[in-house]
Amino acid sequence: MAPDMAAPVSPRRAAPARGGDGIAAGRAARPPGGRRRARGWLYVLPALAVYLGFAIWPALNTLRLSFLTWDGILPPSWAGLENYVKIFQDQALYEAVLHSLVLIVFFSLIPVAAGLLMTGLLLGKVRRGMTFFRVVFFLPQVLPLVAVGITWRWLYSEDGVVNQLLGLAGLGSFTRAWLGDYHLALIALGLIGTWTMSGLCMMLFLAGAQKIDPSLYEAASLEGAGSYRQFRHVTLPGVRKEITIAGVITTIAALASFDLVFVTTNGGPAGQTNVPALLVYRLAFNEGDIGGASALAVLLTVIVVAIVSTIRYVTRDKS
Amino acid sequence: MRMTTPVRWHATLLAVGTAATLALTACAGSGGSAGGTERKIDVSTTISNEPVTLTLAYTNDPPTKALIDGFTKQHPNVTIKPQLTPFNDYVKSIKLSMSSGEPPDIAQYNPGAMSSLVPAGLILDLGPWAKAHGWAEKFPQAGLEVLTSDKSAKQFGTGSLYAVPGGLSVLGVFYNKSILAEAGVKDVPKTLADFEGAMQRVKDSGKVPLSVGALQVGGFHLWNALLNVTGDVGAYRPWVYGQAGSTIENPGAQKATQTLSGWVRKGFVPASANATADTDAQANFAKGKSAFLVTGNWAAAALEDEMGDDVGFFLTPSESGEPVAVASGASVAYAISAKTANPNVAAAFLDYLSSPEAAKIQFDGGFMPVDTKAELDAEGLRAEITTGFTRVAQSNGIVPFPDFASPGMIDKLTPGVQGLISDTVTADDFLRSLQKSWDEHHGS
Repeated sequence: MAPDMAAPVSPRRAAPARGGDGIAAGRAARPPGGRRRARGWLYVLPALAVYLGFAIWPALNTLRLSFLTWDGILPPSWAGLENYVKIFQDQALYEAVLHSLVLIVFFSLIPVAAGLLMTGLLLGKVRRGMTFFRVVFFLPQVLPLVAVGITWRWLYSEDGVVNQLLGLAGLGSFTRAWLGDYHLALIALGLIGTWTMSGLCMMLFLAGAQKIDPSLYEAASLEGAGSYRQFRHVTLPGVRKEITIAGVITTIAALASFDLVFVTTNGGPAGQTNVPALLVYRLAFNEGDIGGASALAVLLTVIVVAIVSTIRYVTRDKS
Repeated sequence: MRMTTPVRWHATLLAVGTAATLALTACAGSGGSAGGTERKIDVSTTISNEPVTLTLAYTNDPPTKALIDGFTKQHPNVTIKPQLTPFNDYVKSIKLSMSSGEPPDIAQYNPGAMSSLVPAGLILDLGPWAKAHGWAEKFPQAGLEVLTSDKSAKQFGTGSLYAVPGGLSVLGVFYNKSILAEAGVKDVPKTLADFEGAMQRVKDSGKVPLSVGALQVGGFHLWNALLNVTGDVGAYRPWVYGQAGSTIENPGAQKATQTLSGWVRKGFVPASANATADTDAQANFAKGKSAFLVTGNWAAAALEDEMGDDVGFFLTPSESGEPVAVASGASVAYAISAKTANPNVAAAFLDYLSSPEAAKIQFDGGFMPVDTKAELDAEGLRAEITTGFTRVAQSNGIVPFPDFASPGMIDKLTPGVQGLISDTVTADDFLRSLQKSWDEHHGS
């Protein structure tokens, strides 16, 4: 398997080198090891400083702010758990979390399935034009989500392309302003996510599948396995890790989605597409409740970590 | 690569409350201390001939830049450096820059979104200058009221003056003349019933009566326009000003809400309204796809460009047909930093905003003039808007938009009206959700 082949190689090569070094400098007791470690930290330092300064410190600060009452200007005051209590009492939060769980289906489950399907169809069969397919399917990932959102808002509008196509197909009675439909807006929004995420999944799976030893396919076909069985027993296990990664990335995109929702529906109609990140934004910037917004952001992080951990646990390599 | 974006966004999200506010923490101290030390300022209405340089932070242009030019032409020794910030970022960044060590001397002010500057003591109480310049006579009363608030900046219309308007706006109805003519509507609606009748005729002629941008503010502006004429201004004004014990759960608001729901059921409001942005609604109207558009005078210039003489304007007609007495409007207002070295010069600029010269600049920039008695040579659409506005403004009938009532109100108004349009929220639930936001801010 690709991952198994890759994993032991580099440490094994590194180990004797380090050992040799140790023997050569053995007489000088242990200090070089310590110095080397210090030098190692030196290399890590720039990245670490950026990471600490722009990821860890803001995160810790958010945690701190979540226990304060603060409007952003006046001196903050201690609030204890008040912000959390208030958030848990707000019905809007539960609806927003529920909506983002629905979005997981569209941002994660369907794209992973679609990515696998496209990988199965493209792998080993398409000799020419592979780059074309990759570019086309990966394009949504390159576009800024705000541009994607505005474009889809037009596609979905009353006289947009979606409705024109429905009209041409004789389904004129189904036309509507999709993002304005009380019951269908969330699904319409989710499908935009499907469109952006499927290409990403396909790229990940194609990259993973190309590492699979071709002899496995040969062996399988000699045993009389058809396309489906080759996919099921060779490709699928070969891209297990990529599936996990795709699952994690897309699930985070669903749970923490903001920009797409902000520009397409802004939570509407009537709160039917509210998502937690949107509520964080409103609390912080419309209501000036930094403490409440931080508490909600912390809670959202906990939800994201919990769900992502579950995915990783479920898809772990049992061997 | 975009691949990492979701992860990065995740980190960004953690920082939503912080990254921006990180800087705030550093500034909060200096902001607080400014509030504590009351400076003694010698108030004067005359400014010296010494060269003075001021900075002015703003987001609305027009009219800001032209007003600066007009003022500095009268006072050549004064230089005003304009600092433009796009609208979406303005309110967020201005709070930071006003609490910084070197804030702009003058800042465009939004009494709802920027109210935290008042309790922090970051903007000047303009009382002494109002007295010295006689602003109570020079500016329309309703225009000053909404910029006057108590020390906590929760209640408007009482306490101290913190800004003055430099351009006014008014909410009303634009109409497409040829669509109305084709539908057989001869006169501009005089009563609310006339208005409904006209929409029915338009609908019968196979056209869309109203364009509504309910995805954004267009939905509640429509509700607001109805509230102006069905509601009791004596109940609305205390509510939007935040006077203790006020409620929007009153018969007038109930009636406005039910009228709106009735329009939805009669098909006057298109089913697609909830997915339509304000700019799209305006564009649809300009392209002749609908007969009416409820919005503010700020749309006039763009509509006139596209439609020429084919567009007209009237204030939402009253039920009885009596001349309209109440209309919602807002202002482009300016406040002075508590840390400015030249408060008298800054105040002189504010005073200039009420002058007849400034009135012309404001009007040319698409705003209603602060000096409501100024002679304006308006024609066509602009004349219709001016006539309506002047009558209401002179009788002190301009009231703030309902989103002024509390910081979170806009996030109840937009979804609430979307609920009315999709017929999933009742009038009672809608008004209750508004009052809940009000109670959370003002205390029930």
